[in-house]
Amino acid sequence: MPDTAAQIAATLLELRNVQIVYDNAVEAVRDVSLSVPEGSVVALLGSNGAGKSTLLKAVTGSLHREEGEIEKGTIHYGGRDIGHARTEDIVRAGLILVPEGRRLFANLTVDENLTMGAHLKDTARMKFQRDAVFDLFPKLKDRRHQISGYLSGGEQQMVAVGRALMAEPRLLALDEPSLGLAPLIIDGIYDTIARMRRELNMTILLVEQNATQAMEIADYVYIMENGRVVLDGPAEKTRSNLDVQEYYLGFSGGGEHRKSFRDIKHYKRRKRWLS
Amino acid sequence: MSYLVNLLASGLAVGAVYGLIAMSFAIIYKSTGLLNFAQGEMAMITAYVAWSISTSVDGNPFIVAAGSILFAIVFALAVERIAIRPMMNEPILSQIMVTIGLSVIFRSLVILVWDGLPHGMGIPAGDALVTLGDVRVRVAQIGVILFLFAAIVAMWAFFRYSRFGVAMRAVASDDGTAQLMGVNSGKVQMAAWGAAAVLSGVAGVLFAIGAELSPSLYALGLKAFPATILGGLDAIIGSAVGGLVVGITENLVGGYLSSGLKEVAGFVIIILILMIRPYGLFGEKRIERL
Repeated sequence: MPDTAAQIAATLLELRNVQIVYDNAVEAVRDVSLSVPEGSVVALLGSNGAGKSTLLKAVTGSLHREEGEIEKGTIHYGGRDIGHARTEDIVRAGLILVPEGRRLFANLTVDENLTMGAHLKDTARMKFQRDAVFDLFPKLKDRRHQISGYLSGGEQQMVAVGRALMAEPRLLALDEPSLGLAPLIIDGIYDTIARMRRELNMTILLVEQNATQAMEIADYVYIMENGRVVLDGPAEKTRSNLDVQEYYLGFSGGGEHRKSFRDIKHYKRRKRWLS
Repeated sequence: MSYLVNLLASGLAVGAVYGLIAMSFAIIYKSTGLLNFAQGEMAMITAYVAWSISTSVDGNPFIVAAGSILFAIVFALAVERIAIRPMMNEPILSQIMVTIGLSVIFRSLVILVWDGLPHGMGIPAGDALVTLGDVRVRVAQIGVILFLFAAIVAMWAFFRYSRFGVAMRAVASDDGTAQLMGVNSGKVQMAAWGAAAVLSGVAGVLFAIGAELSPSLYALGLKAFPATILGGLDAIIGSAVGGLVVGITENLVGGYLSSGLKEVAGFVIIILILMIRPYGLFGEKRIERL
């Protein structure tokens, strides 16, 4: 292996053979290996209960809150083993999560939510970042003194992403940013992700059920089912994979008549999560 | 007329004591979701320590105040670290049971360390009577009212303008997400316990100066808790108002109707108000919107 060192330097987040167990009994993630190179957008796709969110919890050091544990394998971020690091230290190192369902502090104003995102930064830095977020989402500036719980879904998602940006992420992980939003707003979110990558040179780990749009923006794709990675590859190659087209993107290749469900192998039939 | 004004004044003073302890309940509840049923007992122990300082060291009110506030903070942080922190991720009901257990231990501890007899606090400066127009009140009673208002202003400013105060509210709103921002919920819990101990400790000491020091002082907690419910469990300033309402109602009923009704009057008011406003007078309704 000639260029191992260069490879490691270029990989920001690296999971190796990770196995996660809840309550010492329920296996949620089995033998997952995944790497996110610096500056790339990696999509992690899969249906409900595939283990995507569990992986994100492991990466952000918040498994222990739900009696979860990394039983085997390692998680390296920026060359450091973070498998058992505290969330506080992971956040300080710039690995920031936008949680599923946005999870705003509903009783706090937009400004206060953003301030929380920069909790570990000093006030001068916080204000600087806040101006940057207002540049990215001018709408939030108008709404800054409103209670965030009363904003619309799309505005709440802006606050959630803005709050994560306050921490100056090196790696931004987004857990189902399109969940429960109207298509037009989802387009806006994806435009923002593309901009963050282009203008801020951010590394992004995108976890989604909504495969179509995630694949358009990603460089590399992992597909999870039942706690395992069942398929991975560069986004273009994966997109053109016939199985993926049929069962994950919801169209059949080559204009052929859609195959009958009976012809499909059992393992393929189990999950049709984008129909 | 002067009878009414005197009743109101002493109602305000005892209400301020309830209000301060009620604020303590609300501070801890708001930032950690926990009800500390040992709050009244912790106020009582602080009052006993203040008595020990005044009788064995110096009766100077400033020395007593400094010593008892310092003790209240150290004591609360010790209790938090030893008994509460290890329970942090356990079910909230188990945590509440721990505080109930602590309350019983603290009550016995007072009799074990000191004694079961009533005492004067031995702080003449606080015991002195002041005449303001028709009203005769003790310095300690004026002190507790002023302290309550200072505490209200301080808490309001802290939770609204300081970043740590905002972080405490964020933890109250969603502690899992607050941790994702790097908030250390242990620090938040320590701050809440420390602040609560200062408010209720000062209330306990000033009450003991105005009335007397005895092992039944913990009952202040029993009066203050309904005041918290009245103001709204998560409303810190509302709890202070709740305490004043309970204190004044008690005194008016005791003065005009019968002293037998005095003890229950506050509770009757609470039940009536909660029937109309189940979240308490100032409680926040959860925002249910996705």
